[in-house]
Order: sequence, then C-alpha cells, then structure tokens
Amino acid sequence: MCTCREARWGWGPCATSPMLLLSLLLSTAPSGLQGEETRKVSLDVPDWLGSPQNLLHIQAVGTNSTLHYVWSTLGTPAVVLVATNTSHSVLSINWTRLLSPEPDGALMVLPKDSIQFSSALIFTRLLEFDSTSDAAAKPPGKPYPPYSLAEFSWNNITDSLHLDALSATFQGHPKDDPRGAFANGSLAFRVQAFAGSGRPAQPPRLLHTADTCQLEVALVGALPRGNRSLFGIEVATLQQDLGCPMIQEQHSIDDEYAPAVFQLDQLLWGSLPSGFAQWRPVAFSQEQAGRASSLSCQASPLHPTWAHSLPQSSVVQAFFGPQQNYCTFSLTFGTSTGPGYWDQHYLSWSMLLGVGPPPVDALSPLILVIMAVALGTPGLMLLGGGMVLLLRRKRSSEYQSIN
Amino acid sequence: MEEEEEEAQALLAGGPDQARGGAPAAPGALSALCDPSRLAHRLLVLLLMCLLGFGSYFCYDNPAALQTQIQRDMKANTTKFMLLYAWYSWPNVVLCFLGGFLIDRVFGIRWGTIIFICFVCIGQVVFALGGIFNAFWLMELGRFVFGIGGESLAVAQNTYAVSWFKGKELNLVFGLQLSMARIGSTVNMNLMGWLYSQIESSLGSAGPTTLGVTLLIGGVTCILSLISALALAYLDQRAEKILHKEQGKTGEVIKLTDIKDFSLPLWLIFIICVCYYVVVFPFIGLGKVFFTEKFGFSSQAASAINSVVYVISAPMSPLFGLLVDKTGKNIIWVLCAVATALVSHMMLAFTMWNPWIAMCLLGLSYSLLACALWPMVAFLVPEHQLGTAYGFMQSIQNLGLAIISIIAGLILDTRGYLFLEVFFIGCVSLALLSVVLLYLVNHAQGGNLNYSTKQREEMKLSHTE
Repeated sequence: MCTCREARWGWGPCATSPMLLLSLLLSTAPSGLQGEETRKVSLDVPDWLGSPQNLLHIQAVGTNSTLHYVWSTLGTPAVVLVATNTSHSVLSINWTRLLSPEPDGALMVLPKDSIQFSSALIFTRLLEFDSTSDAAAKPPGKPYPPYSLAEFSWNNITDSLHLDALSATFQGHPKDDPRGAFANGSLAFRVQAFAGSGRPAQPPRLLHTADTCQLEVALVGALPRGNRSLFGIEVATLQQDLGCPMIQEQHSIDDEYAPAVFQLDQLLWGSLPSGFAQWRPVAFSQEQAGRASSLSCQASPLHPTWAHSLPQSSVVQAFFGPQQNYCTFSLTFGTSTGPGYWDQHYLSWSMLLGVGPPPVDALSPLILVIMAVALGTPGLMLLGGGMVLLLRRKRSSEYQSIN
Repeated sequence: MEEEEEEAQALLAGGPDQARGGAPAAPGALSALCDPSRLAHRLLVLLLMCLLGFGSYFCYDNPAALQTQIQRDMKANTTKFMLLYAWYSWPNVVLCFLGGFLIDRVFGIRWGTIIFICFVCIGQVVFALGGIFNAFWLMELGRFVFGIGGESLAVAQNTYAVSWFKGKELNLVFGLQLSMARIGSTVNMNLMGWLYSQIESSLGSAGPTTLGVTLLIGGVTCILSLISALALAYLDQRAEKILHKEQGKTGEVIKLTDIKDFSLPLWLIFIICVCYYVVVFPFIGLGKVFFTEKFGFSSQAASAINSVVYVISAPMSPLFGLLVDKTGKNIIWVLCAVATALVSHMMLAFTMWNPWIAMCLLGLSYSLLACALWPMVAFLVPEHQLGTAYGFMQSIQNLGLAIISIIAGLILDTRGYLFLEVFFIGCVSLALLSVVLLYLVNHAQGGNLNYSTKQREEMKLSHTE
C-alpha cells in the first residue's frame, strides 16, 4: 500500500515526479481518457419485452469521447465502466444471453476499437463484525457470517430514477431473512452522475467532474447481530496485467470540505490516467452527516481471489467474459469505541468512480483571500511605517545639521 | 499588647511545655518552620500557595484532555464542546472588575480565597455530575460555576503572594506560582486520558458515567487546593497575630469612568492581548484531535504535544521576564512574540512538518508575550488607574476567549481545521498589525514603551533631579 506523507497544497499524487509524469501522460493520453469540462449525461433503464430490468446505463457524451457506466444488480451489484474515444459509441445488450446462466458477450460497447479503458467494481458481501470480542480477534473483531449481496432482492430501479437529478437508487434486502434483521431495513446503492464539475452539499463533499459518478452506500434500519456490530463491505475488481491494483493513501493539509479528515484514499487501475475509485476514509452514522456522526473507514489491501469463491455479477461476466481473475478488498466502518451504526441504525459512505486522472482538490479561494489579506496588511503596514520613519529621521537629521 | 505578645510566644512554641523540654535540635527546626518571620515558614506558605492554584489549573483544561471522550460520550459536536470553555469565560468578563473589590471590601483575603475555591470545587463536581447524569447542560452549568471561582482565585493567590513576600522574594514567587499553574495544566493533559481508560476498563464500558467518574476523580485536586486554602487562612491569621501584619489587600481600585481616559496605545495593547490569547487557548482546547487526525499521533502523544506550550512556559516565563527586565524594548519583544506565533500557526496550517517544532515555537512565543505585554500597561497608566486597566484587560481577554471559543467550534464543525488555522492566522495578523501600529504611534508620540532599560533609568534620574 502506498502511503505518502508529504506537505503539499491540496491533493495530488504521491510526489512531484509522478505529478510531472502525470501531466506528460495527460498530454499524450488517448482522447477517451483526457477528461472534459462538461458532458451530455443521460440515464437509461433499458427494458426487455416491455418490462424494465435492474440495469442502469449512464452515458456521458463529450466532444470526442463517451463514457459508459453500467450499473446492475443482476447477480451481485456491480458497475462496468468503459471509456471510448468517440462521441458515437453505443452500448448493445443481448438480453436473452444476459439473463441466461452464461451471459458471456451479452454486453458490448460498439465500436469495439474505440474502447480506451474498461474495468469493473463488484460489491460482493455485506460484512458484520462483533467488535466487543477483544483479545482473541484482531480489529474490527470476530466476523459474523456475511450477507451475500447476490442473495438480495432489489427494488425496481425505475421507481427511484430521477432523470433531472441524474440519480437512481438500488435498494435491497436479503431474499432469505429468517432473523428478520432487514424487516425494517435495507441496503441502498445510490448512484449519481454529473454533467459538470462541482461538489455536493453533504459531507464528505468529494470534488466531482463530468467524468465521474458518485456512489453512496447506505445501510439503514437493519438489526445488527451484536450490541456493538461494525459493518463493512467487500468489494472486488478485475485483476490487471501486473496483479492487483493498489490503494493509495494521500495525506493532505486540506480538510475544508471534510472537517478533520486529512486523508484521501484512491484505487487506481494500472498506470495513470486510466480509471480510479476515490473516497475519503470517513462514513457517517446519522443522516445529518457531520463531524459528530463521522466514523473512520479502514480499507484492507487488495489481494487476489478466485472467481468461484465470489458471488458473480452478470454484467461483469457479460462484458469481460468468464475467465477473469479478481482482486478483493474490504472496507470496515467505525471502531468499537464508537460512534457507530448502533447509535441510529444508520450508516452511509460515499465513493467517486471515474475515468482519467482523479480530481485534485485545491485550496479554496476564500482561504487564499484571507491569507493574502492577513499577511499582506501587516506587511504593507510595516513597509509603509518603516519608510515614513526613515524619511522623518532623515528630515530631522537634516534639520539638526542646519541648526 | 502584652497579652498578644504572650499569645504569640505560645503560638510559636507550640505550647509552653514543649518549649522547655525535649531535644534542642528538633524544636529549633520546628520553630523555624513555625515562625512566620523565618524563611522556612515562608517556604511552607509558598508551597501552600502553589497548591492553591494547582486544582483550578488542573481542572481548567479537563475538556481539552478529554475532547474525544466528551464529544463521543455526550454526543456533542465541537461547537457544543467549545461552549464548555466559553461558559468558563463568561462570568470572568464581569468578575475581573469585581474580584479585587470582593477580596478587599467584602470577604477579606482568607474567606475570599476559601469561597472562590469552594466555587471551583462545586463547579467541578457539577461538571462531573453532568457526565454521570448524561446532561450536557449540567456540565455547562458546572463550567460556569467553576469559572466564577477560577479567575478570582488567581487574584487571591497574587494578593497572598504580595502580602507574604513583598520586598522579599516576590518576583520569584510570582514566577513559581505561574510555573505551578503550568505544571497543573500539563499533568492534566497527560493524566486524564489515561485515567479515563483505567476507569473504562474497571467499569467495563465507556460512556457518560465513565466520563463523570473520571472528572470527579480529577476534582480531587480541587479538594487538595481547598485544604491548602484552609491551611493558608489559618497560617495567615496566626501570622497576623504574631507579626501584627495586616490582612493582605489587592489594593485595586476600579473606576469604570477611568476607561474614557485610556489612550490609543492602551487600546492597541488590549487588541493585541485579545487577538493573541484567542489563538493560544482555544487552539489548545481543540488541539488534541488536530494532532491525532492530521499528524497521526497516538492519543498520548497528542496529549503530550498539546501540553508543550505549558511545559515550555513553566521554565521560560521567569527567564524571559529577566530578559525583558534587563533589556527593555518591550514593543520589539511583543513583535517577536506575535511574529513567532504567526509562523507557528502557519506551520501548523500549511505543512506536515513535525508539529513539535510549531508547538515549541508557540510555547516560547506565549512565554515571551506574557513577560513583555502586561508590564507595558504600567508604563502607560498612572498608578491609581492601574487596577482598572488590568481589570479591563482581563475582562476583554475573557470576552474574547468566550466568543472566539464558540466561533472556533463552529468553524471546525463546518469548515475543518485548515480553515480554523487560517482564522487563527487572521487573528494573529490583526495582533501583528496592532503591534506595528503601537510602535508607530508610540514613536510618533514620543512614548516610553520602547525604551531600553538604560533609557528608562536615565528618565527616572532626570525626573528625580
């Protein structure tokens, strides 16, 4: 795991030299990965035989590139992201094959040679730990049997589709729930796309661009199995040529948008610029997200995992084929000393998913203005005062010499 | 008169029988300890005086030492947390004027001290009960009551010092008292977190009760101070009988109408005072989480670094005092102190450098400022207005601390530490601006603030001639 602990103005890659490298790469990057100021974003839930399926296609069209995000809960929840270097690429779906047990090749982005980058994130399991079992187990604690997200039933996504707000929510609960833990609860994946850059009002206020999508995972109302249960989520991604991608922890001086969080975690697929997942290591235990309800979020390193030991996603299989190697990592939220999910039976965590170089935070204009005034005024005063004094002294010495 | 002499003799000897019999060496040492005119006795009194302030300084920074625990257990955001400091400051906006009056005219120094320390004890107990009953408003009330006693107690402590050590070791005593106060704060910073975890493991869980019990145990230091107040009152009364000395008085005369006579340089000094202290105390109040989150310090390491300002000021205050006394040039020293604080906060805000550097700088700056800024008031104000001027200065300092504590909590909750640091930098630079203005105004008016000690002595000589 890469850890950078350098002083730097705002977010940035590990050191200066990668920064330089990045800008060099950027200038030579394929147009699909170059990033655009604004995009024409459309959300679409394609239907088959008149009935909508749980598949959300986000298409972000720029001047000479198109990004496709395919979110789906066919199988386990997952997203396939594809970047192309033309504004005319399209998604083609072979529904009969996609809904069959062997969906290979059912999902294609055409023309095929326009694809510059593709990858996927698969959300496989909801984890739960007993944090009170101290000595024996390492933090986060003794694991309970996880909930497999492939065994969840999901709502009809068209109900929560907001075409104007560019958002949609997949909400689910276990099909088989003998304990009734999810009787009043649900796990939700809220997906949000953006036509331009900006920052949402709710913490952690990640900076987004037109090249990115935000995912908010929220666990609400589910009954935990212990007094002090910590929850986590297992995430899988595709293995790259060189093995598993790494999670970069970036330390920064700037916590203006996420008070008291001085770190940004990034999962980078291959060398920059390709695709990335980015999040602040913070989750919230109340709907009113703020510092009082913030939980820490620990990410484990990625490690290779056999495909057959993971719940499968139809869209990932359909796009990438069956012979894929996976890497998994887990995110756990909170610590035993609290605050925690147990406070209000609420947990939310957000990540940004995108193609191209990750957005880089800079010091806000307000801070720069205050600093300029705060340092400028006394400085000018000192300068001005000093000159006046010097002039006076000169004049008075002249006066004395005449005298 | 004769009767009194006899009584004095009896008090000194600890009883007529004891004076006659027993080994000669032991009573000799004992009598030195019991004789108020002897140094040994004064040292005993000094020890009690130092203990007097220990409890209140120990408990003043309890919230800072337990910030994470308080915010977690009481479900308080930072704004609410900082109210604990604001509530301490509010009563002192008024009491700075009244403390001296209460001691001189109403209670007398002995009862005054005991009463103030009772407020401190009760305040701390109420503060702790607020934890036990899981009622944040009760904690706030506790801090308010604590505040009523806290600052006035410092006035009483100084009055005792003057009454016992005037013309003898007074400056040293002031220095030692200040050092003891800093030691109290330091011990608190480093002890309370550990104490909390001990109680947590013995009670089995963290929570408001654990917090309350921890604070209650912290309150034992206040009881210690109460005992020394009682002992001191007894010894003071005894000395009065033996030495026929008068009960100590602050001698402060507060006339609020004097405020209209305050000159521009004095107002500038007030601004410097407010703008400077608000970047030290509220920052320390919020520092622990800053050091754990931004610099990845462990809880103990964060406590240690958060107390370094106090640690440094304990030995450095007397040294800097001597330095400023020898050299004069107060404005330049204040300028140095403020500029150092600015650099320190810039480092904390914009770099990932080890915060020990910045905090040590802040500690040095804080010690230097205290020695250079406060004496300047005495150069500006005629002696009969000195009480009013100092009272006013403390009062607006407390007002500033109360308001800025709340604002700081608010900023932290909504905008984070970087913005808070930038806000503090703004405050320090306002102080810097005022120092520069003070220098210019003083220069233009031909004032005496920036004289060297030599110039001051020459002035004094020319006046006497």
